[in-house]
Amino acid sequence: MSRIFWVVFGKETLSFLRSIGLVAAVLYSFTADIYIAGKGIQITPRNVKIGYVDDTGGGISQKILSRLHKPEFLPPRRFKSQEALSRAIFDKEILVGILFDQDFEKDFRQGKKAQLNLLLDATAASQSFTTLGYLQNIVMDFSRPNFPVVIKSHKLFNQNADNHSFMALTEMLSVITLLIVILTAVVFVREKEEGTWDIMLLMPVNPKLIILAKSLSQVMIVMAGVLLALGFVIFGAFDTPMNGSFWAFMLLTFFYSFSSAGIGLFVAAVSKSTMQVAQLSIVIMMPLIFLSGAWTPIYAMHPVLQFLSLFSPLRYYIEGSESIFFRGTDLIDLWPYFGGVLLLGVLLYWYGFRKIGKLF
Amino acid sequence: MSDLKVNKVTVSYKKQTGIKEASLQAQSGEIIGFIGADGAGKSSLMHAIAGVIRFEGEISYFGHNYHSPREAEKIKPHTGLMPQGIGLVLYETLTVAEHLSFFANIRGLRQDAAFRAYQEKLLHMAGLSDFTDRQAGKLSGGMMQKLSLICTLLHRPKLLILDEPTTGVDPLSRLELWEILDTIRKEEGTIIVVSTAYMQEAAKMDRVLLFDGGEIIARGTVPELTESVRAYTFEAGACPEKEDVESDCFTFDRRSYSLDPLSVPRAEPTLEALFFVNALRTKRAIPKIEIDARESKMEIPESVMEARGLTKRFGNFTANDHIDMRLRGGDIVGLLGANGTGKTTFMKMLLGLYPIDEGELTLLGKSIRSSADRQELKAKIGYVSQHFALYKDMTVRENLIYFANMHHIPVATAIKRINRYAHELGFDAYMDHSPNELPLGINQRFSVAASLLHEPVILFLDEPTSGVDTIARAQFWEMLHRLKASWGISILITTHYMSEAEYCNRVVLMRQGRKIADDTVEKLYAEHPDAENFEEIFLSYYRDEI
Repeated sequence: MSRIFWVVFGKETLSFLRSIGLVAAVLYSFTADIYIAGKGIQITPRNVKIGYVDDTGGGISQKILSRLHKPEFLPPRRFKSQEALSRAIFDKEILVGILFDQDFEKDFRQGKKAQLNLLLDATAASQSFTTLGYLQNIVMDFSRPNFPVVIKSHKLFNQNADNHSFMALTEMLSVITLLIVILTAVVFVREKEEGTWDIMLLMPVNPKLIILAKSLSQVMIVMAGVLLALGFVIFGAFDTPMNGSFWAFMLLTFFYSFSSAGIGLFVAAVSKSTMQVAQLSIVIMMPLIFLSGAWTPIYAMHPVLQFLSLFSPLRYYIEGSESIFFRGTDLIDLWPYFGGVLLLGVLLYWYGFRKIGKLF
Repeated sequence: MSDLKVNKVTVSYKKQTGIKEASLQAQSGEIIGFIGADGAGKSSLMHAIAGVIRFEGEISYFGHNYHSPREAEKIKPHTGLMPQGIGLVLYETLTVAEHLSFFANIRGLRQDAAFRAYQEKLLHMAGLSDFTDRQAGKLSGGMMQKLSLICTLLHRPKLLILDEPTTGVDPLSRLELWEILDTIRKEEGTIIVVSTAYMQEAAKMDRVLLFDGGEIIARGTVPELTESVRAYTFEAGACPEKEDVESDCFTFDRRSYSLDPLSVPRAEPTLEALFFVNALRTKRAIPKIEIDARESKMEIPESVMEARGLTKRFGNFTANDHIDMRLRGGDIVGLLGANGTGKTTFMKMLLGLYPIDEGELTLLGKSIRSSADRQELKAKIGYVSQHFALYKDMTVRENLIYFANMHHIPVATAIKRINRYAHELGFDAYMDHSPNELPLGINQRFSVAASLLHEPVILFLDEPTSGVDTIARAQFWEMLHRLKASWGISILITTHYMSEAEYCNRVVLMRQGRKIADDTVEKLYAEHPDAENFEEIFLSYYRDEI
């Protein structure tokens, strides 16, 4: 029994190592890709192009504009009319346009409500809206309200409020998901395509054993990639804090990979060719990632979507991993995450066994 | 002056040469036939003539010379190319009529009364007049090929290049395809370059070019060609027994081939003889196949497989319609039919890869009701699937060891057995190569070796000879006969080469999911005294069916 298991496991590992392209793709995904995702994300505005129309003759308007400086903003450009400014925004030369109309300075001096009009290119949503936030702060400073409240925030769990390590971690979890599903699906579908799977089914061996050995080999490949990513990128480049147990995370990753390999098995069971695997994986993976809370917090979703997110193993994995990394949760308190991941995995394997793992 | 002149054309790919310095000439109205196995260079030369791949050398068509696909652009309005593969140029969801108008439109043809008359005529010749509203995906393989052909003929090409248009097509449709070609070349004066996997079709060609290993080994009319090897063809069984493997004599299919005179009368030569004689001349080793007795003792039951009323449906489509079949111990049964007639489906049902919708199956005396019944039989069944399914990223040796492991064969026994098979079946030299690098014939024998590792009682072979060259095919059948003789194994083999029926004990002919003939080879010959070969016997069954 165990001889067959190791024979299949060894053969799949060997096949993987022999396909240089696949090895390169996995290495890239677990190192450079995660690094770029962590480094590349920019939430604070940088080099924002500002244009303005000033019909007031200067004064307050120039005081406001002088507060918009490098590196967040490029020096503001002046436009003759609102039309010229609008055109510049349309042509993507300007991201944020400020309109100081004739009444602005007058109303301000008279202590009336002065109105400042802003044009935002909302296609670059995050950059233009953070710029809006900046401008609101500047305006607030000017109005000097007699409201003696100061906010002092205390950051918990991710003390540096470090977006880089958070993004890198989330990217690693997505890479794990994507790779394990595609690797496993391809391993099975390639055998289907080439007809070797039929021969395997006719071997005097329980096909379940072959399926388990094959998926475990891919899980181990991904686990090796996770170690690489943790060592070089997560802890190496981004110095992410690890408040919980490293082994708890590895164990959760192992179970999660195994249940995601179940998704791969499902994809392989319903596809006929590698091409179909690529298409189906995307169709299946996208909702899984959307619903996992990787991009939108689950509490912010529509109730129906919140319910559906219960079926995304990635949800349990992300929640579990964040608990381990940032909250330092104990292994024993992680049982809901382990439970969710395992239950979904068992269901997927049961389907996979039934669909491609038996003779009639 | 020839209308088409091909001068020393060489096509090379990254790793190998497709065709080396091939030359040929053709006149208007001539049918030039290319015969040879997969990878012999037929397609490469065809694609060069059609001007769709890069080549070295020169091709001249009515005085227009071209050396590259770009220069060939000018002659493309006058050429028609039909690539290999059934229904490859068709769109499954378009109807016959939509295909015709689509191809007329992309060729920019003026659709006047004359065109419509010509189109009607083509439809009529192809026997598709009544099916203009049917979608291409729902046509039979033969109809698809006829539709592909008339789509290629719509713009009245003067140079028609057809790559294996008849492979895998039923005998009747094949005959009709040839009739269309004959009419077209007579009426339109078209030069037709056509390749085929069936030697019997050579008779329909004006001139034949034989391809082997990227070279043209012989050319001429069929009588000229067969005449050229008359001196080397003898009656069977006369090869002097020699110790060395590289013998200069080879026996197959009731004939012996030798460069030196033998002491037996000469036999009537066939086109196949040219391949054997060429191999002998070029001193290419034709390894002898030997099979030793099996290591384990096995009792062979009288009836190893019995199917009654087996039926398989895919939706509305009935792939196998109540098929009865019996396989006796030590029998070689050939399951013959065109592509898409349900041969593979039937085999997969026997093996349990598809569920049986209706009917009863008994394997090795055990009635099969569920997969549990198959569990203990697995060790007694060998299976080679279409396209020789093996792992491409492992060497031959690794593949065989992997399969042996899966069969729980002790490692020492396995290695001994693998080496023995490699020697007996003549692939020792390739043990450390990947299956991709092997010639098709070697691949085929090594796939069979993989299915023999556990010394089965029944062997199921799905299209093992498709595309394999003449010599490898001869050796393959030799191997099956030896297996039968020394192991008492029963073999069920599917093939679309009707001529291979000769080498079976019993043949079952299928047509569109139904069995239309099932008898021993001798009886079939006795019942059809005026048939010259099996092709004709089957044709008569096809005709009776309609």
